[in-house]
Amino acid sequence: MTDVPLREPWEPLALAPPRWNGALRAVAGYALPPTVALAIGLLFWEVWTRTRDISVLLVPPPSRVIDRFLDRPGFFLGEGMTTLYEALLGLALGAAVAIAAAVLMAHSRLAERALFPLAILVKVTPVVAVAPLLVIWFGFGLWPKVCVAALISFFPFLVNAVTGFRSVNPGAMEFARSLRASPFQVFLKLRAPSALPYLFAALKVSLPLSLIGAVVAEWFSGDKGLGLVIFTANYQLDTPTLFAAIAVLAVIGVALNTAASLVERRVLFWHEAFREQD
Amino acid sequence: MAEHILVEGLSKVFPHRGRPLEVLCRLELRVDWGEFVSVIGPSGCGKSTLLRIVGGLLEPTAGRVHIDGRSPREAQKDKDIGLVFQDPSLLPWRTVLGNVKLPLEVNPTDGRRPLFQPKELLELVGLSAFADYHPHQLSGGMQQRVAIARALVFQPSLLLMDEPFGALDEITRSTMRYELLRIWQSARSQRPKTVLFVTHSIAEAITVADRVVVLTPRPGQVRAVIDIELPRPRDESLERSGQFLEYAQQLRNLLKEEPQ
Repeated sequence: MTDVPLREPWEPLALAPPRWNGALRAVAGYALPPTVALAIGLLFWEVWTRTRDISVLLVPPPSRVIDRFLDRPGFFLGEGMTTLYEALLGLALGAAVAIAAAVLMAHSRLAERALFPLAILVKVTPVVAVAPLLVIWFGFGLWPKVCVAALISFFPFLVNAVTGFRSVNPGAMEFARSLRASPFQVFLKLRAPSALPYLFAALKVSLPLSLIGAVVAEWFSGDKGLGLVIFTANYQLDTPTLFAAIAVLAVIGVALNTAASLVERRVLFWHEAFREQD
Repeated sequence: MAEHILVEGLSKVFPHRGRPLEVLCRLELRVDWGEFVSVIGPSGCGKSTLLRIVGGLLEPTAGRVHIDGRSPREAQKDKDIGLVFQDPSLLPWRTVLGNVKLPLEVNPTDGRRPLFQPKELLELVGLSAFADYHPHQLSGGMQQRVAIARALVFQPSLLLMDEPFGALDEITRSTMRYELLRIWQSARSQRPKTVLFVTHSIAEAITVADRVVVLTPRPGQVRAVIDIELPRPRDESLERSGQFLEYAQQLRNLLKEEPQ
């Protein structure tokens, strides 16, 4: 929604402000309130741990966590990049397999009946239980992490893609039939664009899940990554490092989510949820 | 004039939770080349079903439809049928021009058949200035104009319209009638254009048509065919003429009558 100042009917509509100004204000409008709230929260936390003399081993004050991060920013960011890379690769793999299966299932009820229960089997099996097995199969490198992230991202994409590919406007479908469009043309021109809003919903669910998957896999087979950092810090009761790693993960999650929302807004400009008011 | 559409003994039964639902029963109809025919009848009388069978989207249970000697499917294959539904069913991610071009993308032409250029069509329906807009930026009436333009791309000789203005507000509806007549007149100069127009508005049925076909309640049969002898071109003043009101009264009585 664009901001239109209240006006009397006879007053002319104010001209739109210059773009950069509007963008800046939008960012400030969305980012400022939660930032201020977070800052106040951290301040209370700092004061609480210091006045009550809480042990650093239990809850370190934010300043200690920030100090720890600033000691070795390259280390935390590097490990973060590793985890991010594993998560995104797994997400891409899971999404690709899910979308391929969904294409099949959207076209054939038999395929859906055969495959969907298996997909539910994948979904209900706790991924933590499968992780050690993947370590046995794939060793300690990149692939067990990618596989766990893929497994955990698979189901949201599958369900949303199947629904999306089927959610074509019936009138448009009938029109395509009257044009004698081939199934491939129907897929390309109707089904795929109709599924986009559903795929973005799946993306926003799966992004944080894929991070969870990568971190959990790193606990079991960590040679690097924030999961290993957390695991090691926990073992050594190095709580400030633990908190710093968690904070980096949280920042990565927020960044991914924001990026997904921005792209979604751009791509789905035509969708009810994102239409600009004219 | 020679016949364009011939409907012979058309019946359609839908399986309906084990109890078959008979929608059309031995319906007979003949439409001549270039005629504008309205089909009117009570709700659920099978108007839309009739239109879908003529358009080749549904198969009849019994009976036949000939479109210039071909089956509906063959006419559909020849791109000789244009369809407009109540819901404009535009693709929201495409621009107005992109929507009108869709039929050409699905069926790239061999250059043999006559074609409307999409831009030419937008001019015809009065939307040249909106070619780059997206459907959600247009009013309902404008969206339906795009749907009409889209239906005319292949210059079909037959245009099938299923309550095209049913979802519009009353004011837009009445202007769209005359817009449709204007578009029909211009499109006709290229190729004869027969129109089968399903509606449940009596005023709409009279305004646009050369003949009004009144159907009985389900199962649908032709109850009466009224010739509308009003001069063309027509405009809003028509709706205040005595002749128009007589036709309206006649139709109202036909629609009220109980089936024998």
